[in-house]
Amino acid sequence: MTHANQPTKAARYGMTIDVDRCNGCGACMVACAVENNIPPVPEANDRKGLTWIRVFRVDNGEQGSARRSAYVPMMCQHCGADAPCVSVCPQHAVDVDPATGIVGEMPQRCLGCRYCMAACPYHARYFNWWDPAWPPGMEKTLNPGVTPRMRGVVEKCNFCHGRWHAAKQLAAANGQPDGPVSYTPACVEACPTGVIRFGDLNDAENPVARSVRENGSFRLLETLGTEPKVYYRSRKDWVRQIAAAPKPGQRKENGNG
Amino acid sequence: MKHRAKIAFLAGLLTALGAGWAGFPLAIYRSRPQPVDFSHKIHADKAGSKCDDCHAFRADGSFAGIPTLDKCAGCHAAAMGTTVAEKTFIDNYVTPQREPQWAVYARQPENVSFLHSTHVTRGKLKCEACHAAQGSADMPRVYQEDRISGYSRDIWRGKRMTDCVDCHQRQGLEHSCLDCHK
Amino acid sequence: MKSTRRDLFLFAGGSAAGALLTPAPWRLITDTALWSENWPGVPAPPRGEIRTRFTNCSLCRAGCGVRARCVGDQPVQLTGVASHPLSRGVLCPFGLTAHHLPYHPARLKQGPHERALAAVSAAIGSGDRVAVLDLQPGRTASWTYRRAMAALKNGVYLTNGPSVAYDLHQAKTVLSFGVPVLDGWGTPGNVIAARENFRLIQAEPVESRTATLADVWLPVQPGDEDATALAMAGELGADGSALVLDHRGPAAAMALNQRLGALGRTVVARPEAPVPVEWRSAAPATALAQVEDRSIRVLLIDESAVDGYVPWYQIERKLVLDNPVVVTFTASHGGYARHAQYALPTAVYPEISEDIPTAIDSVAATFRLSTALIAPPAGIVNPAEWIATLAGLAEGDTIRERADGIHDSGRGAIYTPADGKTVAVKDLTAEAFWKSLGEAGCWIDEPRHARAPETTTAVSEPHAHDSDVDLPLVAWLAGPSSPPLLSPLMTKLYQESNLRLAPNRVALHPSDARAARLADGVHAFFQTRLGRCGVDVTIDPGLPAGVVQLGTAPGILDVYRPGIRAKVVPA
Repeated sequence: MTHANQPTKAARYGMTIDVDRCNGCGACMVACAVENNIPPVPEANDRKGLTWIRVFRVDNGEQGSARRSAYVPMMCQHCGADAPCVSVCPQHAVDVDPATGIVGEMPQRCLGCRYCMAACPYHARYFNWWDPAWPPGMEKTLNPGVTPRMRGVVEKCNFCHGRWHAAKQLAAANGQPDGPVSYTPACVEACPTGVIRFGDLNDAENPVARSVRENGSFRLLETLGTEPKVYYRSRKDWVRQIAAAPKPGQRKENGNG
Repeated sequence: MKHRAKIAFLAGLLTALGAGWAGFPLAIYRSRPQPVDFSHKIHADKAGSKCDDCHAFRADGSFAGIPTLDKCAGCHAAAMGTTVAEKTFIDNYVTPQREPQWAVYARQPENVSFLHSTHVTRGKLKCEACHAAQGSADMPRVYQEDRISGYSRDIWRGKRMTDCVDCHQRQGLEHSCLDCHK
Repeated sequence: MKSTRRDLFLFAGGSAAGALLTPAPWRLITDTALWSENWPGVPAPPRGEIRTRFTNCSLCRAGCGVRARCVGDQPVQLTGVASHPLSRGVLCPFGLTAHHLPYHPARLKQGPHERALAAVSAAIGSGDRVAVLDLQPGRTASWTYRRAMAALKNGVYLTNGPSVAYDLHQAKTVLSFGVPVLDGWGTPGNVIAARENFRLIQAEPVESRTATLADVWLPVQPGDEDATALAMAGELGADGSALVLDHRGPAAAMALNQRLGALGRTVVARPEAPVPVEWRSAAPATALAQVEDRSIRVLLIDESAVDGYVPWYQIERKLVLDNPVVVTFTASHGGYARHAQYALPTAVYPEISEDIPTAIDSVAATFRLSTALIAPPAGIVNPAEWIATLAGLAEGDTIRERADGIHDSGRGAIYTPADGKTVAVKDLTAEAFWKSLGEAGCWIDEPRHARAPETTTAVSEPHAHDSDVDLPLVAWLAGPSSPPLLSPLMTKLYQESNLRLAPNRVALHPSDARAARLADGVHAFFQTRLGRCGVDVTIDPGLPAGVVQLGTAPGILDVYRPGIRAKVVPA
């Protein structure tokens, strides 16, 4: 692979997720699976599944009626330029796109060593333990904008890059010059309560860019320095504490995986 | 014999060169005929069609590629000429409303997202730059596909992904794998 | 001159060197790599022109507007319609994956058509009582059933549908006893739009998804609902701006709603789109509970549209003991097909063309069609046509008749998703109105004076029995019921994560699981005094001890009653 060119005007797509509005319905999870041709894995348990976005239930550690829960959607956090998964891949199958900020995963180059899965602090990468198995006839319902993966490769959220292609296609057909395009990933579109919002963080006027600069915005595992582009919001202190993931022993952890 | 060794070696070398350059393409490629002997030349000359009369962009910016049956049937509901090819086409496809299974020379692999609008509308590339002079040919090119991989011989004009990448590099547009892969 | 072995080696060496200078070996390496990428086990998505079509989702009465992204004519993705006045762009996980249902491997495709018809005709001929159980009343098909039963000598039309509607937009306080208001109740988009207006008090033993987002969560045990309601009645005020929902049904909260002045304001009689005058002489709707026990000889169950599963024991007691004939029209094996003599296959959404009745949270009558996006397979049955033919009703396009009747009334307006515009019915011809309905339009009646619902008394069931002594747990349903067929992608929520409880699972607190000697994931029996059902066990430390949370599979619902006591035993 030759050196990447720097784009004249780059986008840096990011998300802001309002944990206080999430009701854990799971619409984002299934919409992601439909958009990205993620096969159902009925043999899987919750550690071997393919859930590019996954909603976790966390709680404040109390018992009985003092217990309060919250739902936290999590997907690849699209770390900054020093994403941990990029440097460990022996195949150079992962790169951070300078034009969009998206951490792209190339299943066609992947040889399935899963080093990136070990490197990712967010456990946001998933392995195809089995070949994709769709019931007969159901392959007709696959999305042509995304390529299905074979077994033995790692995959993860790519901010619905197929929709980015479609947006670029339309922009070019309409005569617009090259540059950042605006599009909506599947999870953002499907969320009924508007929990997940997506936009270009480089565009200062974008509501998402403004939201991440406001008080109350935090990222997961900030102390690791991964510089993710997915921000969270919550007014609950115990949610922020879980996001910072203190060392064991500092706080009674009851986060249900 | 004096140069026996060299002759034997040279014989092997030449045989291999001949087999590799001339014989190997014959072996590795399998031909498939197009369902209809379509003549671009007749359509361009007699019908006055331009490229984008049939190969046009849709409203969402996607490229129609090879037109579907209703485009052809729009004119060829009845025979317009006297060629055998046209009669075959009408009998086998228009009348029974069957889509011809064209062999697409530039059909990309499943993991490639090639957008015509960025290259043609924005990049102002001419059709001939990637598709050769098919537009003025009287007979369709012979479609050949690789026996092992199944890809068309003309998929990237016979070369590889790196040639697309080189042009992108020269234009300053080569950023990431996901630019072209889906 | 003879060739020697040395010549051979030299020839081979020359060939090897020559081969390396040709494209052949490099080509073979590349081709092998390419071949290995195109694994035959990986399906190829369809190719073709991308089109947008619209329909309304008929998996439940919400009837959310659907934008279907299609390759050619095949839907590959379903999303909501943002400008829709009722559903506001929201689709639930079932609606998002419904385009898979026609290809579901467990879908019923064949049935004993002739034998069923023969059995039913014979029974009708002898004058025995015939009943249709309509699980989603208010449709045009429902009226066909009513007319068919009126045409028969001894026909009766049964429903178990709710007869109330709720106005969340007018409510200032909503007290919900276990009703999953924010998790699949009513029309989700409408509930979310109204959420800012009211204070939600969620009273239930388990902190559900709704409780997480409610303003207050009251941990109330099953059985304590009435006492809690009485205690809160004073606080809730009597100006009609409060509203009580109860998981045991509208009748359970009726008295409290009446006391709060909610009847006629936030709790109204369920509205229905007008029907042609000729239809009104049809058989009246009888509640299932009101029919005498052991009186029905032939029961025809329309399971193709379901508004909530009715446990089998409530139905079985109404059948004669001697040779009853039960025919169910269904697309899945899991519902009444387990109990019926004959199961006849029906179409599934998005194959069906039918109207959707008004949702439970709409106080204005609505009329919208679920327009078929793909054709159903051969061999399926349309239950309304089947029953109409049985009763000798004249053929006709009943949906068109009803649409024309609505148009003639001149009331209301119709919203069309393609352009997002709402046009008054008065300004449209009948043909234009029908065309708009065919493009997934949604007719909404003008606001009318809301009628108070009929006050029905709740059928009270005793909570405790002598035989409950060895049933240590109290059963509680998890969330809204799921449709009979689920897309395989629902494993994302049920198995590949532990976000939701799968329909065939029960969840236990770790201490209760230990006491019952159950580990996570084992097969077990969920047992109540109504019977038992095979289930899989999930251990959930978030549950309170003493509660077993249930998935909503029909097998589990058959042995469940609100507040019933239960135990879970290893298989």
